[in-house]
Amino acid sequence: MKWRKWNYILHRDVGYLCVGLTLIYGISGIAVNHISNTFNPSYTIEKLSATGPPLLTGAQPDMDYILLVLKAVREEGLYKNAALVSPGTMRIFVEGNTIDIQLKTGELTMEKVQRKPLLFIVNYLHLNKAKGTWTWLADIYGIGLIFLALTAYL
Amino acid sequence: MKTVRYFLLLMCLLLPLNSQATELKLGAPLTIDTVTKVSEINKNPDQYLGKDVIVEGLVKNVCAKRGCWMDLASDLPFEKIQVKVVDGEIVFPIEVKGRIARVEGTVDKVQLSQDQAIRMGKHRAEEQGIPFDPASVTGPETFYRIKGLGAVIK
Repeated sequence: MKWRKWNYILHRDVGYLCVGLTLIYGISGIAVNHISNTFNPSYTIEKLSATGPPLLTGAQPDMDYILLVLKAVREEGLYKNAALVSPGTMRIFVEGNTIDIQLKTGELTMEKVQRKPLLFIVNYLHLNKAKGTWTWLADIYGIGLIFLALTAYL
Repeated sequence: MKTVRYFLLLMCLLLPLNSQATELKLGAPLTIDTVTKVSEINKNPDQYLGKDVIVEGLVKNVCAKRGCWMDLASDLPFEKIQVKVVDGEIVFPIEVKGRIARVEGTVDKVQLSQDQAIRMGKHRAEEQGIPFDPASVTGPETFYRIKGLGAVIK
């Protein structure tokens, strides 16, 4: 029964190759099963309210004002951009934070976003966000699983 | 030990995950050279309906749940256009908020009955974690968006 010996060896070695990806797909599978408006499997999103400096009447929002707002909320992330989303609201984009400030009152909301450790990576792969070569690797993994299922019966 | 080695090898494949600072290419490569202004599409949407265009603008918002849409700021203040992609085909990372995106896609018209508009408004509000008043929808709604095929985010 030489073929049985080879079946055993191949089943074992392909199993070794597949184990890492099985963990990735398994963990991510559970996480994305529970995706909802209150649970994001890849990011921690925190919404906060605070008060910043109101824009003086007649003044235009400029970089000095933006720096003042960032200082008021102790935001030290990398500044990316800013835009007026409505005549009275400015959105400031900082690495990991989006700040909407009401220019008249200084009331602001912050949306802080952070990648979830481990889960971000496993979801990135499971949901094939990487595309390209990863698509082929995932295909090979799929074939590996089919092979494991079939050889398990022999 | 063998298992751990294979697992570590697979984890090494995860290195190209940091999309924060570099140019990010998503979906199909861009093929059109001339950028069409978002304000131009918003002004004469029917003229562009069904046509492939390239638009460029600041990413004001991104679908936090699945990365399946993003709002691009227009060249005119307070205006924007939504870029919608097929779920999973392109995934806009939430971190691209505040960066400049160049998107190629087809101009699309979406017509919603009042009920559909309320459902969509509710869905988007839940997704963003913001309040929604159904009374703010007073009738059927029509809007134009870009069905995104490819994007480069700077």
